[in-house]
Amino acid sequence: MTAFSLEGISKRFGEVTALDNVSLSLNEGEVLGLIGQNGSGKSTIMKVMAGLHRPDSGVVKVGGRAVQLRSPAEAALAGIGLVHQEQSLIQALSVAENLFLDKPAGSTWAGVYRWNSLRDRAKAQLDKVELDIDPFTPVSALSFGQRQMVELAKVLSLEELVHGHLVILFDEPTAVLNPPEIQALFGQIRRIKHRSSVVFVSHRMDEILDISDRVYVMSDGRNVATRDRDAVNPDELYELMVGRQRVNRKDRKPREAHIGAEPALTLNHVTVPGEIEDISLKLAPGEILGLIGVQGSGAETILRTVFGMADDWQGKIEYFGAPLDIDTPAQAVAKGIGYLPAERKTEGMIRNTSVSENVAITYGWQHGRGAGLISRAKERGMIEGWVRKLAIKTPSIAHRIDNLSGGNQQKVVLSKWLFGKTLKVLMLDHPTRGLDPGARSDLFAVIRELADQGLAILLVGDTLDEVLTLSDSIIVMKDGRVSARIEGVQAAPPSEEDLVKAMV
Amino acid sequence: MDATLRFLRRNGAVLVLLVILAAVSTAAPGILRWRAINSLLQDNAPMLILIVGATLPILLGCLDLSIAAMASLAAVSAALLSPVLGSASVPVVVGGAAALGGLQGWLIGRLQVPSFVISLGALGIFKGVAMYLTGANMVGITPGIWIYDLLGSRSFGMSNSFLLVLIVAGLFAAMLKFTNLGRNIYAFGANEIAVYISGVRRDMVRSFAFATSAGCAALGGIMMISQTMFASATVAGSLLLPALVGVVVGGTAISGGVGGVLSSLIGGLIAILIRVGVTISGLPPESQDVAFGITILIAVALTTDRAKIGVVK
Repeated sequence: MTAFSLEGISKRFGEVTALDNVSLSLNEGEVLGLIGQNGSGKSTIMKVMAGLHRPDSGVVKVGGRAVQLRSPAEAALAGIGLVHQEQSLIQALSVAENLFLDKPAGSTWAGVYRWNSLRDRAKAQLDKVELDIDPFTPVSALSFGQRQMVELAKVLSLEELVHGHLVILFDEPTAVLNPPEIQALFGQIRRIKHRSSVVFVSHRMDEILDISDRVYVMSDGRNVATRDRDAVNPDELYELMVGRQRVNRKDRKPREAHIGAEPALTLNHVTVPGEIEDISLKLAPGEILGLIGVQGSGAETILRTVFGMADDWQGKIEYFGAPLDIDTPAQAVAKGIGYLPAERKTEGMIRNTSVSENVAITYGWQHGRGAGLISRAKERGMIEGWVRKLAIKTPSIAHRIDNLSGGNQQKVVLSKWLFGKTLKVLMLDHPTRGLDPGARSDLFAVIRELADQGLAILLVGDTLDEVLTLSDSIIVMKDGRVSARIEGVQAAPPSEEDLVKAMV
Repeated sequence: MDATLRFLRRNGAVLVLLVILAAVSTAAPGILRWRAINSLLQDNAPMLILIVGATLPILLGCLDLSIAAMASLAAVSAALLSPVLGSASVPVVVGGAAALGGLQGWLIGRLQVPSFVISLGALGIFKGVAMYLTGANMVGITPGIWIYDLLGSRSFGMSNSFLLVLIVAGLFAAMLKFTNLGRNIYAFGANEIAVYISGVRRDMVRSFAFATSAGCAALGGIMMISQTMFASATVAGSLLLPALVGVVVGGTAISGGVGGVLSSLIGGLIAILIRVGVTISGLPPESQDVAFGITILIAVALTTDRAKIGVVK
């Protein structure tokens, strides 16, 4: 019996198609495992089901009846609850208050809490998930595992509010949990199956295979396969996840000749508590070192630590043989280290300012008159040179960066680092995120050329394809640690399936 | 149509200035006489220098609420120091104020506390210290000190205090336009995080901006005592609201990144005319603050870039 279904759902965000004609059906009492790479549309599909996003086209059906889910509250009335990936609890409030915050009947009288009733009802919910804590404990005093259980209890309180069948959505609930907590969560999922269907998203293949009755594979906003658990072949799932984005091998050429002998950057046993552990790596001038891992694997943290943005780290970082002792980006830049952040709109570009100010912000003074005076006339010629060289499409360099396309914005942010005379190491964090294929291959060519000129490049890729195309060596990250190292990537490329196996 | 709108937006402050000037001078034609203008500029030079200084933190998207309290504290300190230090009391007080302002700017980054909270705390501290120093009495300045006499007199028929405002504003405008620091200040106001990741020393930029606003506030306090020869712990207390009105009416957005010192000067002239307008319309002087309150609400509502700040609270 079908409890819930999506039929031909599409969802676009600007130029990006997040979901392309996706259909999904969920049987009563079934656990459906949802897998796919970053950006494959998993989270979007969950948000459509939970009423957080409205699809551009397609039909959502609950119990065979077409419905419109206009908000999470409407979804809740239809018996659909989302257990959030990012913790959605309000830390300063008690567990009990959090549990009933979004419910219409919240143990209140004339807007005032009836504390005894609230405590009893909260206790009943917490008993369901076997969490033995005082309902009036503030959330901030709980461990991440306990918070995840409270999130679950919050959704499970739908059991009393809704009469029909429930649909419980889990968006990467295990990301912050340790193995015993994961087992406890799985116990809960098996317990609620008698009156709920479950959709479970995880980056970890072993978990998906453990808990799911069926596996649903997403790639590029489409459903590429659905497999019953008995018929699952893990290797096949890896292949399906990686999808059709095969590496274009004709782009490759050996670059060993460009790579310097002495490392530019060396990390020895670098640890950032809670994020990365015991990371060692070497990066030579002219080399492109690709880092890859699922979200939260710690690859980005490595870049930010080298760039002076980690609050607290241990270990040793060497820069051209000397210890690198910095704690702000300004100091990193002064040494010749650049960083292209993943969040282009909030961290990369300086919005509401011109292309030229964006390019000149870091190194403009190097082309000035000295004594802190800048020369916009001299900058202009050079900025126009970079605009031509990187084929940045902009009416003029005085144009606002906000009005350019994403790919051109990214090229502007990149040219900020190329504008100076002192850059030796460039770190790229998901440089092609949100770019269309044309802009991506433009950017690939620029990155390769920079490496050929002797720049040491540390790259965190968005996709395997990107890292395999660009890198000389690859480090695969998993849960904050190095899980695989591959040298000589261009000469003997590893298979994408092997990389995915090391990631998840 | 589009061009008209752009023209209005770019030159709005000047147009507002002209409209108010026309209205005020119709009601009281005497205001257009050179003597009247001169004395208005002289009386309001302290407010204008506060406005010039307050512009820099606002360009960063910060707010320095301590300027008026700093002006009072500086006036009191200068008066108390004048018998000992003579003319040297001015650089000492302005330098000390700049150091305190720089400390405020540094604390914002160090403690990760919003600027309006830090400067509100500073406001209380400065006010209390000024009270303590004076015992809530008026303190007189030693007569015959060259620098105070200079600030209280005129050259070329213009108030020296007002000329100093023009010089400081000109220096700041040049700094904003031609130096790397100026570029960093605008960029900081547009997107602090991106600027930080671009390798700009944001603590230094912020300290500089708050040092200049405190230094200008101190100059404003000194201008006041050079005119009145007396200082009290609350002498400049009423200048905070008109100073902020001047900055935002001039077109410097409270969300940062847009505007400039010269715009603020225009805004300052508008603030002066609002004062005059209230007086000549026969309303009681208390309504000045009402007028400033209404003006700042309208100006901020018109100039705030809500897309940038995300949530309004």
